Amino acid sequence: MMAMNIPMERNTGLQFGNPLLSLENWCAIGFRLFGQATIMLFQAVGYIFHGGINWAEVMRQANMIGIGSLYVVGVTGLFTGFAMSLQISKELAAFGADTAVGGVVALALIREIGPITAGVMVAGRVGSAMAAELSSMVVSEQIDALKIMRVDPVQFLVVPRFLAALLTIPALSIYSMFLGLAGAIFIAQAKANIPPDIFLDSVKQTVVGTDFITHLIKSVINACIIIFFSCSIGLSARGGAEDVGHATTRAVVWTMTIIFIANYIVTALSPLHTS
Amino acid sequence: MTDQPIPPSKLPSFSKATEPMIKVEGLRKSFNGREVLKGISFEVWPGEMLAIIGPSGCGKSTTLKLITGLLEPDEGEITLNSQRIGLVFQGSALLNSLTVRENLALALKEQKLPKREQDRAIMEDLTLVGLADYVDAFPTQLSGGQQKRTSFARAIVNDPEIVLYDEPTTGLDPVMSTIIEDYMIELENQLHAAGIVVTHQFSTWTRTAHRAILLHEGVVVWEGKPHEALHSNNPYIVQFAKATREGPMLAGKV
Amino acid sequence: MQASEVKHLAASPFLLVEDWVTLGVRLAGQVGIVIARTFYCLLRLQVDWQESIRQAYFIGVKSFLIVGVTSLFTGLAMSLQIAVQLVQFGGESAIGGVVSLALIRQIGPITAAIIVAGRVGSSIAAELTTMNISEQIDALKVMRIDPVRFLVVPRFVGAMAMMPVLSIYAMGIGIFAGMVIALIYADVSFGVFLDSAKAMVIDQDFFVHFLKAFINAAIVIFYSCTIGLNTKGGAADVGYAVTRSVVWSMTVMFIVNYIVTDLTYEGPR
Repeated sequence: MMAMNIPMERNTGLQFGNPLLSLENWCAIGFRLFGQATIMLFQAVGYIFHGGINWAEVMRQANMIGIGSLYVVGVTGLFTGFAMSLQISKELAAFGADTAVGGVVALALIREIGPITAGVMVAGRVGSAMAAELSSMVVSEQIDALKIMRVDPVQFLVVPRFLAALLTIPALSIYSMFLGLAGAIFIAQAKANIPPDIFLDSVKQTVVGTDFITHLIKSVINACIIIFFSCSIGLSARGGAEDVGHATTRAVVWTMTIIFIANYIVTALSPLHTS
Repeated sequence: MTDQPIPPSKLPSFSKATEPMIKVEGLRKSFNGREVLKGISFEVWPGEMLAIIGPSGCGKSTTLKLITGLLEPDEGEITLNSQRIGLVFQGSALLNSLTVRENLALALKEQKLPKREQDRAIMEDLTLVGLADYVDAFPTQLSGGQQKRTSFARAIVNDPEIVLYDEPTTGLDPVMSTIIEDYMIELENQLHAAGIVVTHQFSTWTRTAHRAILLHEGVVVWEGKPHEALHSNNPYIVQFAKATREGPMLAGKV
Repeated sequence: MQASEVKHLAASPFLLVEDWVTLGVRLAGQVGIVIARTFYCLLRLQVDWQESIRQAYFIGVKSFLIVGVTSLFTGLAMSLQIAVQLVQFGGESAIGGVVSLALIRQIGPITAAIIVAGRVGSSIAAELTTMNISEQIDALKVMRIDPVRFLVVPRFVGAMAMMPVLSIYAMGIGIFAGMVIALIYADVSFGVFLDSAKAMVIDQDFFVHFLKAFINAAIVIFYSCTIGLNTKGGAADVGYAVTRSVVWSMTVMFIVNYIVTDLTYEGPR
């Protein structure tokens, strides 16, 4: 059962609109999208518990999402680690605070920067690809064909992608985190002469189990956001080639935005101790 | 409905021209290892409309793109006696972000006319295709047929000496096809440009062209006047013109 | 480039690296050509100023809300983390400075990069690819109009004009978020916050921030335009072009961000 269609944002065209009005418009669309995505989430979970799961398809999707993103997530994580480490180690080393560098960098990467950059990168790659794929299927009437055959698109298309994302995105997040740390260690040594063991000691002292858990929770939430928003947007497309592009752009924008918002909410709700 | 082909007496005389407007020699082109054009040659004289016909995938559109310079040939020579070219695309290809007026103005950009001249030319050609009222509309606000007619106007607004049509009537209903063909004939009479029309529709090439070449698998297998097609000795053109399955053109190779 | 070229499933991860690198190099080459042609037009002042202003407006309007929301929530999250840490050590008075530095030097540019790639880059890629597959780009070429001059240059100029504005706006919101958190969580008044910020942030930080903003905008514009202009195919390929443009521009921006940081940051004064 397909839920209602989401109206597209008004094409801004050349409207010198009232910015507050468009904020209101934007919020309205956002809430509707959120509702749509949540409904899809519940539908998908329902199917997982009741229906048969096509594990072959799940694995195929996991391959596309996971293996396909390995390099971009890796590169991004690595270079983010480089940059953060460069900035922080030089700064703190000048104050003689070598022993604190590892901790600060690790906390930054694990708690905030890591989940956000990995999430956003995957959103850009996977979210847009899914929205593109699904909206092209709508435009070429394949979704109609499914419905005529009494197949629910959510079960057929969304559930495998959801499961695949749950399997791969947290793993990608952790992988990105490790690469970031590795890069950070390297740079700390190379640019600020902070030896790896001092770096790692500091990390061990500052980073707590709850940080990893927060990281994982954020990555799971990101996965859900990416899948359900992108799929909702993709499946509610209609029209021609133009609408495929439109849907893809919307998917990228909305998933990224919601990831940022959700990230803050989780941060605010998580217990922020240090050791 | 499909009219009779143009009788020879109505053909314009181009005896005044000393050189062909378009000259193609030994054209070859491959895509991804697959040879689409295997050496074709033809000429088009000013005031003449040549039809390039043939089954799908025989290289017709590729030939047009090679002539306009959108593609580079692997081998062979293309000589054009004029740089003023108008091309009517299969899908109209109007820029959706511009109005009709602005679309036509783009085609005139090279000539750097004063604004009044520009507007005059634009309105003149839009009136010709019956769309003068839509001058400030956007392409997305026009119907398919109207878009096609606009792209016609755009192709001729700079008084081209070469006009190229890429499947102008493909996919149109029979009445609209006739209307478009009438425009093409009218334009020919007015402009006396050298024209090439790529098509596989019988009515189009028999009504609008003075001469036709049939391409099959990248080679020219017949050349002649449209009204001779049905009575020709050449089995290819007979099969194509009659639209039957009997004959050397392997329709089953789809 | 056809959609089928990249959709291998991993036979071997090492083969994939080679593909990826080759693709990256080829794309970089195509981007290089577009950059060269753009600057050629710029140097000869062949710029459609009216169109550039229009593009600047579009970019600004499209990005306005999303930059605001993202900067707000990033600012809130970062300053919460920082405030918690500093309160532990009794270093509340430095909150302003640390938050500002973090936002201005790294977080700000990174976040902005992500947003611009996502919002502007994807819509440009979608727009240009759609034009390409409906033969509009070919139509331009037949009319002897350079697509780079007609499409890329105005977008580039518009983006360059908009970036400083968006950057300042983003910085403002982020720092404001920081001030609010500092007040609520650590009882640090706006005044103390700003004093600390003024003490720790130097001019060079702003300079580097804007430099990064310009570079990021340029990367996004050039990559998305190049991909849009070079993608052929059908409706599905429009989506594919958007994905490519988002992924590649973000990847390149992260790499360049590090390089710029390395080149400009010498340590605290």
